[in-house]
Amino acid sequence: MHQTPHITLEAIGVSKRYATHDALCKVDLTARCGEVHGLLGPNGAGKTTLMRVLLGLVRPDGGRVRLFGREIDAGGPLPDCVAGLVDVPAFYPYLTGRENLALLARLDGAKGPTRRAAVDAALDQTGLASRADAPVTGYSAGMRQRLGLAAALLRSPALILLDEPTSSLDPAGAADVRALVRRMANDGAAVLLSSHDMAEVEELCARVSILHDGRVIFSGTIDELRSRAPAAVHAIRTSDDCAARIVATWSQGVRIGTAADGGFDVAADSEALDAYVIALGRAGIAVRALERRVRSLESLFLELTMEGAHCADLAPASGSTPDEPDWELAS
Amino acid sequence: MSLRGAATVTAVECAKLARQVKVQVVLGACVAGPFAFAAALRVQSSMPEDTLFGRAVTDSGFALSLVVLGFAALWVLPVLTSIVGGDVFSADDRFGTWKTLLTRSRSRSEVFAGKVIAAMTFSVLALAVLAASSVVAGMFVIGSGPLITLSGTLLPAPRALARVALAWISVLPPMIGLTALAVALSVASRNSGAGIGLPVLAALTMQLYALVDGPEFARRVLITSALGAWHGLLAEPPYHGPLVYGATVSGAYALVSLAIAYRMLLRRDIAA
Repeated sequence: MHQTPHITLEAIGVSKRYATHDALCKVDLTARCGEVHGLLGPNGAGKTTLMRVLLGLVRPDGGRVRLFGREIDAGGPLPDCVAGLVDVPAFYPYLTGRENLALLARLDGAKGPTRRAAVDAALDQTGLASRADAPVTGYSAGMRQRLGLAAALLRSPALILLDEPTSSLDPAGAADVRALVRRMANDGAAVLLSSHDMAEVEELCARVSILHDGRVIFSGTIDELRSRAPAAVHAIRTSDDCAARIVATWSQGVRIGTAADGGFDVAADSEALDAYVIALGRAGIAVRALERRVRSLESLFLELTMEGAHCADLAPASGSTPDEPDWELAS
Repeated sequence: MSLRGAATVTAVECAKLARQVKVQVVLGACVAGPFAFAAALRVQSSMPEDTLFGRAVTDSGFALSLVVLGFAALWVLPVLTSIVGGDVFSADDRFGTWKTLLTRSRSRSEVFAGKVIAAMTFSVLALAVLAASSVVAGMFVIGSGPLITLSGTLLPAPRALARVALAWISVLPPMIGLTALAVALSVASRNSGAGIGLPVLAALTMQLYALVDGPEFARRVLITSALGAWHGLLAEPPYHGPLVYGATVSGAYALVSLAIAYRMLLRRDIAA
């Protein structure tokens, strides 16, 4: 029988208002043991504010937050098994990375040899051991991000909140962090991951909540999100774009649109796209370039949040909008 | 709030302070300053006659310590109290480290208590270092001759040393009050420049007000008045009224300032 994983974080109707702006409006959110929960949203959607409320840094105007079944209060201590990384991590610049971590471990109550061992382990896990004795003032943004993760790992968290943890990292560093997140979830921790990177969310998250203007506009599993996603958009260049357009009108489930940089865009699911490319080959039209422009989940995200002109150009919603471009739907 | 939690934060804050260059420089100046002053007195013929105990400064090393105290009470102690007190909270705004500090296992109350105790500890330590240095410099460079009191009687060295020590101890209450004021301004302004500069400016303004002919009540509620209350200890017999009154005023400053600062920190959203 399927058992519901234990809920470690529960936000119920959380609201926060700054002056005349609703930063959060009745936000509900849960995170479960062993799962990575993605938190998506455009800039200013309220992701970081929500993270701050969940960590007790910001007092909500309404609603409740429960961590491991216990209601938290802004101003109280964070439960020992909870850690967070909000925004760009900040440390005391006149201290070394190791000294910063040692002081934070001391605040958490770690003593003597235990503290040293915990600091060493966190530095090793985040690949900072070789630079740990340099003052933080000389750290790059990526190194600070790693140090932030090390500070979170010091708490051996059963619930960890990560606000864009790979934003300042190089590709190798980002891959390390993703592996770390996966490992933590596999070990039973609940992870709330805020990210702009759709591929990262698809790769890591079991559930997703999408925030827009402080409101949750989607919450569910990644499969539920995928089922609502429109077809991915590909840019295509052929030996004869004119003829290729005509072939598209005969192909099932293929929609085409204009592209600013030559060629044209094709919106189709994988099967329809395969069939279309094969049809082009049969018609003697060579495909010179085929590049994914917008992932299917990205299309849905843009559609849901109506973010920017690019969204309007590339992601035709089922309910049409006034800005909808001229897409030709074959058959 | 647990006492253990507050003690942990205090230890962490003190460890941070010990690594700050400004703290090392200030404590170094507290050690070296009186020696430099004593050495300067030895090589010049004129004395600081217009200051309290200035005429006796070449006769007794204890008088040198009191001249240092008189000068420090006017100009140095407000700076010593605000150099850490005015920065201990706003430094976390400057470095953006509130989110780092407040996402550990310590409550805001414990963080507040720990930071306040650390700031107070520095003020007391700086005062102790300055006092010890001035006494040692006086005894070493000038000698431990008897001290002439404000009433004109002579105090032998052991009694003079005790009175001088009491005089330095008597400025602790206004030091604590001024530190609390600096803490409140540090929390309120979230800016180290304001946190350090405003208490010094306030103290200097109060000192200047004390020089002009204003209402007596206003003069009595100035915390800087308490910095001069030690004069009564150097009379024969000593009188303690101004000390008690100064300690009460200082306590009121400390309580009000810390209550305001605590409330502001508890209610604050850490949104940056």
